[in-house]
Order: sequence, then C-alpha cells, then structure tokens
Amino acid sequence: MIIDDPRSKFVFIYHPLVLMGRSYTVYQGKEMTNGEVLEYWGKWLVLGERPWLDELAEKLDPYVERKEIPVIKYDRSPPLNLGVEECVMMVYCDRRNRDEVWKILTQFGIKMKAWVTERETMEMWLPGGLLLERWMASQDYDEATRDAVREDAGRRISHVLDNPEEIYKTWEQ
Amino acid sequence: MAVTVRVPGSLREWFRGSDEAFCGAGTLGECIDQLDSEFAGIRDRLLNEEGEIGAILIFLNGENVTKLEGLATSIIDGDEIGIIPFAAGG
Repeated sequence: MIIDDPRSKFVFIYHPLVLMGRSYTVYQGKEMTNGEVLEYWGKWLVLGERPWLDELAEKLDPYVERKEIPVIKYDRSPPLNLGVEECVMMVYCDRRNRDEVWKILTQFGIKMKAWVTERETMEMWLPGGLLLERWMASQDYDEATRDAVREDAGRRISHVLDNPEEIYKTWEQ
Repeated sequence: MAVTVRVPGSLREWFRGSDEAFCGAGTLGECIDQLDSEFAGIRDRLLNEEGEIGAILIFLNGENVTKLEGLATSIIDGDEIGIIPFAAGG
C-alpha cells in the first residue's frame, strides 16, 4: 500500500498491517530487538528521478503486500539541502534476506548495488555525524537549536545502542 | 571482462554523460587512478585532501568499501563498483 501523504518528507510503501500498528522490523515472524536491527537491518538504495521512482513503487507494492519486501520509502523531492540531486528510494530488509530482495530489484532494471546498514545510518545521524551536521547547516538553526537537535538525536540513537534486548521501535517520519 | 563502475544519473557528467565506466582488476585505489587518467578530476571528486574516501559512498558488489579495506580493497574482473553521494546513504 503506497502512502503518499504530503505532510511527510517521504512516500512509503507499507503492508496494510503496518498501518494497524504491526511492526515491519520482523524476522521469521518475530519482532526484532534493537540489537538485531543493528546487526541485520539495512536497505538497498535506489537513486532516480521522482516519476521513475513513482513507477517503480507501483511495481514493488505487490512485493510488500506479499511480505517479500518489509517496507520501502522514498524522497518526495530530492534532498538538495544534503547535496543529493535525485530522489533516494530505500528498500529495507533483513541482511539475511537481502539477496532475495536484490533479485526482485534487478527484475526492474536496477543495476547499482548499494547496501547500507541501519547501524551506519544511525552513525551518520549521531551528534557530530556528517549527515546531522549537514542537515542542521541547511536549516539555518541558531546554536541553541543545534544543540537541542544534537541532544535529541543523541538520546534517541543512544537508546537503541544502549538497549540491545529491547524490541525495536520505529520513529515517526 | 573488466570492473564496471556505476554512478547515478546526477553524476553522469563525471563520466562524460555515461552512467558506467570501466577499470581493470587490482585495488580500488588503482581503479580510481585509472579512472582519473581517463576522466580528469575523478580522484578529487572521490577522495578528500588526505587522499581518503570523502563525501561519497563507494560500494563493491553492494558492500560499502569502508567496511572492507577501503582503497586497498582488491577488485577482480566482473566486480561492480557503485558510487553515490554520501547523503543518499542516510
């Protein structure tokens, strides 16, 4: 199910059960812990123009409906403030299933193979991380606001890192 | 057979309008040197002033090379290298 809500920065493709509160960070029917997400969860990246990603989303939606792909999101518009001129689609899955998901993507002409782990992503958004700092610079925040954002990002991510046995909870985006 | 290097559409200008280029087997650093001799300036786009991988992500067969051996990572014929802007990974 494609969720295209203009209030969000992203367009999402969810299984309908996710909208009813079901987690998508699941492996073999069991919700993943923070530690498991850090070890196994990640995403294939697909870069392209928005119209092409919209078409691709329509083609990939049935795979999400069949739970062959857990969740997908892509940029509503290119994140120019971060120095990226194309929209980025993130096709999430467990590393242990990523080869099957990659095979699905290749059916639609995707050639560039780029896997980024959730741990790497979190490191980019930690206080002092390249993406967090670049994003804040693009927002023209004053120093007090930057400090507050750093503190919030640090608190959220540290909670995941420091509580590996806890069931992983996704963040609203 | 050679090593295929791919970039997204927004970086095609790096390879004079193509989203693919090719280099020989060896190491990633040697591949970048080969590309730089064919497409002047590529090394500066990919590496920072310290000669390390800079504001981009480089993948070898899907794996981030910083998790492998960086510029010393061995590449062989048939391998595929992907290059994307760093922020796209977030």
